[in-house]
Amino acid sequence: MVKQQQATLTRVYPLPPFWAADFALAHPPTPGKFVLAELGGALREPLYPAGLAEAQFTTLVRPHHPVTQLLPGATVDVLGPLGHGFEIEGAQRLLLVAEALWLPPLLPLLEAAPNVALVIEATTRALLPSPTRIPPAVELHLITQDGSAGHLGTLEQGHDNDTPLRELLPWAERACFACDPVRYPALARLVRETRLHPGADFAQALVQMPLPCGVGACEVCRVMTRHGERRACVDGPVFDLLALDVT
Amino acid sequence: MSWIELAPRHKMGLPIALPVMPAAGAFGYGDAYRGLIDETLLGAVVTHPVSPRPRHAAQGTRLATRGPDMVIHTGWPNPGVRAVIREYAPLWERLTVPVIVHLLATTPAETSSACAQLSRVRGVGGIELGLRSGTASRDALTLLEAAEEDSEVPIIVRVPFADVERLAMRLARAGADALTLTAPPRAILPVADEEEPGALTYVRGRLYSRSLFPLLLELLSQWVRRLNVPVLACGGIATPEEARACLALGAAAVQIDALLWREPALLTRIATTLAADAQTTEISEERYD
Repeated sequence: MVKQQQATLTRVYPLPPFWAADFALAHPPTPGKFVLAELGGALREPLYPAGLAEAQFTTLVRPHHPVTQLLPGATVDVLGPLGHGFEIEGAQRLLLVAEALWLPPLLPLLEAAPNVALVIEATTRALLPSPTRIPPAVELHLITQDGSAGHLGTLEQGHDNDTPLRELLPWAERACFACDPVRYPALARLVRETRLHPGADFAQALVQMPLPCGVGACEVCRVMTRHGERRACVDGPVFDLLALDVT
Repeated sequence: MSWIELAPRHKMGLPIALPVMPAAGAFGYGDAYRGLIDETLLGAVVTHPVSPRPRHAAQGTRLATRGPDMVIHTGWPNPGVRAVIREYAPLWERLTVPVIVHLLATTPAETSSACAQLSRVRGVGGIELGLRSGTASRDALTLLEAAEEDSEVPIIVRVPFADVERLAMRLARAGADALTLTAPPRAILPVADEEEPGALTYVRGRLYSRSLFPLLLELLSQWVRRLNVPVLACGGIATPEEARACLALGAAAVQIDALLWREPALLTRIATTLAADAQTTEISEERYD
């Protein structure tokens, strides 16, 4: 049953390279799930939680997103929570992997397990989040494509074939990914190379894409998986990473 | 309450209680908006387009927006007639309003077979035949004939936007039980590549826009009175007043398209407004006698 709720914007502020918006909402989405917000455009905008508290959530959006035009106190009509989110219950060692601009939906998981490692890739240092915003208990690994910070290379392949994921994937009990979906087949192959028998829920990947209706009516968000086509809005947006390798 | 007959010439008829329903492709197969839209307030449920055989989703970018307008190219993915019937027949039987299955016309043989299968499903009150834009007149009439051959329920034909002038009268004379005017027009919009400033890709597909509404009224004003079959109006209808305007021009019912994704309540808001209107105005069926 789809819910329709009223969210109230309590604060909106720049948090480079994003803007943050805090909303009060009776039933906020859990990590990986989303709400569709009516912000005056042709379609509702999906908002993923980047921070969660009781009856409120924070979302991080790119500059010029319509949320940034709202004033505190504004009421926003939202549908949701929608979709299928991350499932990490019981994991003691959690690995989070993201491209910097796709990172926000993973942020609510930074303290979701006793041991968390976070790997972030960006083209250059300026696009990385400030390390001071990451809880000190999180083991942070930075990768830049130009070598301006952290490891030189990409998530899949570092300098001298030395990506931190080769060590961290065998260590983790669960791994959650938030990247451009075109990266997922290569990342799935990396998981297979480093884990002998990764379970179906070991590696979970968030597929961020346009979600016009959010309820499985429009068929715009079809994703090809090893089990056939699935709709990101109702069958995802979190999928088994290994099922996304259809190459 | 006055019933609205969408297929007065068909032996079974297709009576609906209210002149409002979702358009094909906007509402899934009948269950997507459960809990949000009360389908008992609608005249009918029109399903996502179904093809005789399974279809995969289109590759590449499927959506482009420009202000309030959007172009969508999904490729009409669906599991095919047999799988759809297997999965949704129990739901359609339970719904309290008739289901109109939108069938993508392919070949005459496949169309005929699909109509035969669909029309025997309990709850299916009609079939809306979807023609590709630019379908030749002779092909359109052949497909209609094939659809009617083994169908036990009325056949509504959804006429492509650009083909109304060429096809509407021919289809009505050839025996279509009703016509939907129109399918969304074809259009192209560019999509900016966020990773590569200045780079553009293009999406070619169906245009959904409120700007279509005046064009729809123009078509209705030209055609409804000349056609001797009921017309379902579809395209950019976004308010109860706009739905009313379509009915005032002679449309038998209205279909609400992609605009309902942004505002699901629109469908029931229009339905309740028109229901209130219907209490004060008897809708005459004489025109179709």
